[in-house]
Amino acid sequence: MNHDEAAKLLGPYQDGELDLATCLKLEEHLAGCPSCRQKLAGEKELVDFIQAEAPRFKASPFLKTRLQARLRESTQPKWKWSWPIPVAFPEFAILTTVLVVGLLSSVALGLFSASTSSSLARDAVADHVRSLQVSHLVDVASTDQHTVKPWFAGKLDYSPQVVDLGPSGFPLIGGRLDVLDRRNVAAIIYQRRKHFINLFIWPSGSDPLHDRLSNQDGYHVIGWSKSGMNYLAVSELGEKELRDFVQMIQEQTVDSRPGE
Amino acid sequence: MPHLDAAYNLARWLLRNDQDAEDAVQEAYLRAHKAFSRFRGGDGKAWLMTILRNVCYTTIRKLRSHETPESFDEEIHQTVGEAEMKESFRQKANAETLHRALEKLPDEFREIIVLHDLEGLAYKEIAQVADIPLGTVMSRLARARGRLRNEIIAANARETRS
Repeated sequence: MNHDEAAKLLGPYQDGELDLATCLKLEEHLAGCPSCRQKLAGEKELVDFIQAEAPRFKASPFLKTRLQARLRESTQPKWKWSWPIPVAFPEFAILTTVLVVGLLSSVALGLFSASTSSSLARDAVADHVRSLQVSHLVDVASTDQHTVKPWFAGKLDYSPQVVDLGPSGFPLIGGRLDVLDRRNVAAIIYQRRKHFINLFIWPSGSDPLHDRLSNQDGYHVIGWSKSGMNYLAVSELGEKELRDFVQMIQEQTVDSRPGE
Repeated sequence: MPHLDAAYNLARWLLRNDQDAEDAVQEAYLRAHKAFSRFRGGDGKAWLMTILRNVCYTTIRKLRSHETPESFDEEIHQTVGEAEMKESFRQKANAETLHRALEKLPDEFREIIVLHDLEGLAYKEIAQVADIPLGTVMSRLARARGRLRNEIIAANARETRS
């Protein structure tokens, strides 16, 4: 390594950005070049000075609070506040459903449902990640299924089954109202060690989920349908553990309609 | 709230006042939040800083739209000669001198020093954030530090004269 090459690499060397081979070559040069050694010492002096003395501006607590509020606002479904409308005008809801179903079936259904199911998994993962990210994991925090289940009454027009898997190592953490595929859904949150599982539940209607597992950006998503409800479990847990979880949920959700 | 102080620090150094910096940080978090489904893994800090940097530069362009745009040419900002390098710039330099010297640097230089020396981003992450090749990160950081050293030496000299 000649002197000019070496001189250019002093900064990256000081920053620990050189690969091992280049590092060794440079050190060989440094051993025999007082000028480069001095330059390196000057470089280190400057960087140490910057790191020790440069002011670091800290976000004010006010900014933090304001930001949390704004993020929470945008996390909550916008039409959460308008949910009584479809209830007040059931005809409107039915009409919309009929229109949407009609539209769906008139489009080439096979192709369409393939792409919607992957976008559903993507949405579910995005919901899951967001729930962990903005400290908005639960709207109702409780390890008691008899607290979580009634909480959804009046917020959804169906009642999700909430089972407690605490004894099996998946303690219940709480519930949250979320939006999946433009639909208000119940999210039940379970914990496994340091990981969380979001279990989304909504009526399957005419669109039951087929049993499936997908892997989306490192998150596992398992979907199924039972007793007229669609279930989608999302977690960063390993596939096997999430499967165990799903199996337990499936065993414990009561089959209200035999033969389903 | 992940990386909030780091984000605010970068915005404050780039925009140089509290209000603009707070607005930029808020805008960046909201954008990041909206775009989260497009986030394809990797380091969340670098990703957030990328969005924030774009917001900051938009603000800078807006604020300075009435001024003559000053084009940034790396070659003009040459590093110091070896003779000056040997001078110990730190003899009288203090935090105040450093602060003023940093403020005097062109945005691109100040930004890279903040990202690397203050926020500890690796070259690779800076390449992503500033959207420049790795080689440019290396040379720009070297020039930025050289220029900063010159500013400090010049400030020390003024102090000695006065």
